[in-house]
Amino acid sequence: MITQPSHVPERLALLATSAVDPFLTEELLRSEQVHGGIDLAKVVEPLPEDDARWSVEPIRSLVEDAMFEFREDRTRADAWLAPRLHATLRLTRREAADKRLWNHLALAVAPEYVAWRHLSEATANRPDRRIAAERFRGPADRQCFSRLWWAAELFRNGPDYEPVVAACGNQDLIHTVLRMELIDHRPTAQALVRLLQNGQVTGGREINGLSTAINAAGATLVYDVLAPDEPRDPARLREWIAEAGSALPVGRYELPMGPDEDPVPEESVAALTSYFADLFETAPIRGRTPQG
Amino acid sequence: MKIYPYKRLNRPVVLRVSSVSLKLSDGTRDQLETTAYSTQQQAVALGIAGHTDWVSATIGLSATLPPGATASDAAWSDLCVLAVLTDGETNVRTSAALTRDAEDGRDWSGSLEVFRDDHLGRASLSVHAVGTVEGVQGRSIAETDRNWVVDTVSDEPVRGFQLDVQKASFKRSSREWLLAYADAPWIVDTSARVPTVFVNTDVEGVIGLLDSSGSGVDSKVRDLLVAQMATDVWIAVFHGAIGDLEVEPGGGPVFPTDWQGEVLREMLPDVIPGVHVEEALRQVHRRRTGESGWVELQTRIHYAAVRRADASKALAYAIRSLEQMNRESET
Repeated sequence: MITQPSHVPERLALLATSAVDPFLTEELLRSEQVHGGIDLAKVVEPLPEDDARWSVEPIRSLVEDAMFEFREDRTRADAWLAPRLHATLRLTRREAADKRLWNHLALAVAPEYVAWRHLSEATANRPDRRIAAERFRGPADRQCFSRLWWAAELFRNGPDYEPVVAACGNQDLIHTVLRMELIDHRPTAQALVRLLQNGQVTGGREINGLSTAINAAGATLVYDVLAPDEPRDPARLREWIAEAGSALPVGRYELPMGPDEDPVPEESVAALTSYFADLFETAPIRGRTPQG
Repeated sequence: MKIYPYKRLNRPVVLRVSSVSLKLSDGTRDQLETTAYSTQQQAVALGIAGHTDWVSATIGLSATLPPGATASDAAWSDLCVLAVLTDGETNVRTSAALTRDAEDGRDWSGSLEVFRDDHLGRASLSVHAVGTVEGVQGRSIAETDRNWVVDTVSDEPVRGFQLDVQKASFKRSSREWLLAYADAPWIVDTSARVPTVFVNTDVEGVIGLLDSSGSGVDSKVRDLLVAQMATDVWIAVFHGAIGDLEVEPGGGPVFPTDWQGEVLREMLPDVIPGVHVEEALRQVHRRRTGESGWVELQTRIHYAAVRRADASKALAYAIRSLEQMNRESET
């Protein structure tokens, strides 16, 4: 298992995907050897000096704690790290959509976390343990850190990260649903979490079946009308981001607070939760025998 | 054609943008000229006034529902009209209800707010007419057939595939990875957010040639060069897009939401002619990941790229220009 590179930068930067390949070596993907860090530092584009958000130390300290705390069960680290990463690395969506930031985080700042979290187990079919390259540089819902940040962003209910913990506690949910467009509607995201929290939907097949049914129904139904959302006030997020420099490190035991945005209207979440529950009753789920 | 299990309107909603204004960071507003949007292109360019410090944009909209929307015997009630802005890159979905201009009329209007922090590039704008049909709330009755493109960066309201061209010395660029390609006149980078052509300024005279204007042989050679570059780009972006396809749990490939989707929709009709683009995408994906057929497809991909790059025209003009030159030197 690799350790951190001998040179870890002090500040986050942008690493173009086309510049990644020389560092994404076969040895790294097998978690045998990591680059030294010096050569990588030469190909990055710096971020503005005067912004406290780009300091690497708070993120390093988070991932080190996660690796220690969840050394017995690494998948559980997702639910812990997602809200804390989101509250530490305060970004606008515009900034978070820049893959170069995530490339840098994974390759330069904490490659050993990517290896720790995503090195595959040896199986009979695939005896060689390996990390998928997309965990370092890849789609937003696959890359090691961006998937957590986006899961936190899409599942938080205003400042409340509790739904994020529930969503990330279920690998099937973040694996399949995060890539679907339906999740961009906040009340839909909250209703899905609620079905999970109250135990109406559990395993991966159920989640797959339900999300397919929601998507199919969405072809004729406009969920924005069934369950309206409030318009967001962008100033709240700006303030929260501006406070990043003076904010305390996020709590290790208690959940942090997200940006002080209005939560999703409760009537909308309730309406969709019961609508989805009905939909789920009749949705074809693999392995479930039709009832009635 | 889709089949719906309830009554709908057959024709699409017509959407027009009627005004665009930017709210700047100092609190003032800048009403953009009408050149910021194009009805023909169905595109809005928020970068047109050169502001980099805008906070939000207000887009004035008017929508006309198809005939029959307000018929007294219509199958729906609780009619409402919604403008929806989506962005696949930033997972943003915002909606705004429009209001009816006159009672019993088919024209609705309103405005939609676009926040700069919420978008990196392009967002997509559509309008849905929604009502209660046979007791079911929230049924979509009609929508726009083609989304408008809202580009938060561009200074020209055009839809279609965009390309970034950058000039750099591959030997001395701060992008050190270019050094590995120092002996190439240009390279295509499809891993960036927008596909980018880097032109190597170390090749003496290449910039002069690319910037040449006028009608001489120079400009014909330039056009030929540009067509060659464009062919490279189209081939590269097609492969980039096909290589990155997401596959649904059910097994079918999904159209990407960013430029890759645009590229595929544009090129697939030439790659697999005669079928819907969705079916074409499935076929191409099957051939790439399956056991055979990928190699055979390369010719079609090349053909689709050459057509888009206008290579035949550029070549024809260059040859004619050379012939003329030769004739002149003979006499």
